[in-house]
Amino acid sequence: MGIWQLLSVELLTAALGLGLLAVGLLMPGRERRGLAYVATAGLMGIAAVAWAMREAQGVVLNGYIIDPFGTYFKLLFLASAVLTCIASFDYIGRLPRGEGEFYALLVLATLGMMLVASAGELITLYLGLELMTISLCILVTYRKGDMKSAEAGLKYIILGALSSAVLLYGLSFIYGATGSTLLEDIGRVVAREGVKPLLGVGIIFVLAGFAFKMAAVPFHMWAPDVYEGAPTPITGFLSVASKAAGFAAFLRIFFGALPASHGLWAELIVALSVLSMVIGNLVAIPQKNIKRLLAYSSISQAGYLLLGVVAFSVLGVGAILYYSMIYVFANMAAFTAATAFFNEDGSDEIADFAGLARRSPLLAAVLLFSLLSLAGIPPLAGFVSKFYLFVAVIGQGYIWLALLAVLMSMVSVYYYLQVAKAMYFGEPPAGRAAVRVPLGMQVALVVCLAVLFFFGLYPTPLTGYAFNSAMVFLGQ
Amino acid sequence: MITLSHYLALAGLLFVVGLFGALAKRNAVAVLMGIELMLNAVNINLVAFNRFMNPGEVTGQVFALFVIVVAAAEVAVGLAIVINLYRRRLATDVEEADWLKW
Amino acid sequence: MANRIERKSRLGEDLLIFWGRCSKILYQYVVVAVFLLGAIGVAVAALAANWLVRPKRPVAGAKGETYECGLETQGPTWVRFKVSYFLYALIFLLFDVETVFLYPWAVKFQVMGWFAFAEMIVFIGILVLGLWYAWKEGALEWK
Repeated sequence: MGIWQLLSVELLTAALGLGLLAVGLLMPGRERRGLAYVATAGLMGIAAVAWAMREAQGVVLNGYIIDPFGTYFKLLFLASAVLTCIASFDYIGRLPRGEGEFYALLVLATLGMMLVASAGELITLYLGLELMTISLCILVTYRKGDMKSAEAGLKYIILGALSSAVLLYGLSFIYGATGSTLLEDIGRVVAREGVKPLLGVGIIFVLAGFAFKMAAVPFHMWAPDVYEGAPTPITGFLSVASKAAGFAAFLRIFFGALPASHGLWAELIVALSVLSMVIGNLVAIPQKNIKRLLAYSSISQAGYLLLGVVAFSVLGVGAILYYSMIYVFANMAAFTAATAFFNEDGSDEIADFAGLARRSPLLAAVLLFSLLSLAGIPPLAGFVSKFYLFVAVIGQGYIWLALLAVLMSMVSVYYYLQVAKAMYFGEPPAGRAAVRVPLGMQVALVVCLAVLFFFGLYPTPLTGYAFNSAMVFLGQ
Repeated sequence: MITLSHYLALAGLLFVVGLFGALAKRNAVAVLMGIELMLNAVNINLVAFNRFMNPGEVTGQVFALFVIVVAAAEVAVGLAIVINLYRRRLATDVEEADWLKW
Repeated sequence: MANRIERKSRLGEDLLIFWGRCSKILYQYVVVAVFLLGAIGVAVAALAANWLVRPKRPVAGAKGETYECGLETQGPTWVRFKVSYFLYALIFLLFDVETVFLYPWAVKFQVMGWFAFAEMIVFIGILVLGLWYAWKEGALEWK
């Protein structure tokens, strides 16, 4: 396969992003509404191309790896970007800034994530990570009139830059210890010479940098504030896609290039995972704001995902892939529903969700089932994904870890059901009409629900795809 | 003779100074300056490793160039947000100069 | 007892070796130190000669005022810059730093051929798009 064909997904995404920016400049401010539809359709088209390339394998210029693993993550990013676009139609149109460059930035952030997922070289990885972080940061501040949004943006850029600096410091040591930035060469050197102290220092720093991006405890401080201040659809995108990008890069570096260093970081990952699960779930209980609640829940999800890393097996990687895809649909559904509610009532407080079931049965049902899927209740896909993760961990002998994870899932059911209680048994405030949900959003919500139920009852197609993609690592 | 360890020690010191600045300062601009110091420490590391470990190639130097450019972009976005915040806060309370509270 | 003496002497040896290494490093700086002394000497000599030769009159009237480009200074000097100035500075900073890629390219592009040339054209095209954006959004206007 030629270079152009291998790179087609990235090239199309870049062209779409830059094109949206240029076309947006040519249009007067009021008529930029159409950009939203162009962006959504374009992203769907690119997703179709990526799907056609799901078996493709090849290396471009030594440092850029196209393989089923990377393409799986690209599909995941594209799915969440499409859902974010659909959720943003009304929300962004109402902001004083208007559509402007919102969709261009969204597409460019997606491009950055794709680069991260396919990078086989440290400089490319860094560039992708920064493209993602900087674009997302501008998106976080997009509610320009709102102090909270600006402050969230400031926190995100400062902590993002800080974590990048820590990560880079680690990367510089890895480069120094192995003399190359190509992951393939690094892997070869490490397999031959073992883990030198210099490399060990680098690995610890890189680990800390990635933990920031994944929002794992104790590197999670930025998440709740940033999630609360950002525009709601962007919060969804942030919690889903940027976390997945962090995991993609983590797996590529640590499983693909540095499996020989497993002994060094295995215990650290266990600690990160336990802390994230316990603190994320316990702090979520007293939250009053739906975005903060979901922020802490997403911190705990990072803990569950790290279980797959602890397992250090093909089963573990496959479970991570499956879990993150299901997580995209569950979390995006919850955030899209929250956006629809915000468009109507202008509130994110859980108390204001009272009686939502009577005002909009669809929104209430979507929120209920997506939260239940996040908690891992049986007929839904979230159960299957957690099941695979727990099996993978038990397979490595960490039975206590699996028990702890199950216990923490029980805790999460409690605070998710608090939201359900407000929606189904609360009294709607007097004089409030039914919540109007636009057609595009309705379709997106129904599709998310269908995905959650379908893969909960019949997970084989997606698990097969995920485990095939996971064979890239440790599978030989 | 100045060896690799000297450069690494310098970079380590610079990194720690930057990290301290980024964590201890309350002013956003000072925090950004601290992060710049950390990135410069990375650059010293990269260039020193390139010079001493494999002088035949330029990978480390190219990496450092990319770090410089991306850091500039990052700081530009950070400062733009600071200006945005500052404009708004200035209208409400002028006295509060130390406005970034975590 | 003997053990202790031996250890002591080893410490002394280590110190000597350490000092030897340090002095080797320091020796390289001797040239710098000589230059530094020379530079300070020249400056001090010039100032001293000036002080000896010049007529001595008391400071009075316009002599004590701040001199800036032939204009009289107005108001306090510690003023805040207008926010628009920072916007210019930010845009300048971005385009200024991007040129760092042009230098290595300019040195090597004849070796690397048309592919590198096309790549740089694409890169500059993206930069131009950025400039166009800044222009259109009014970042270059003084408000």
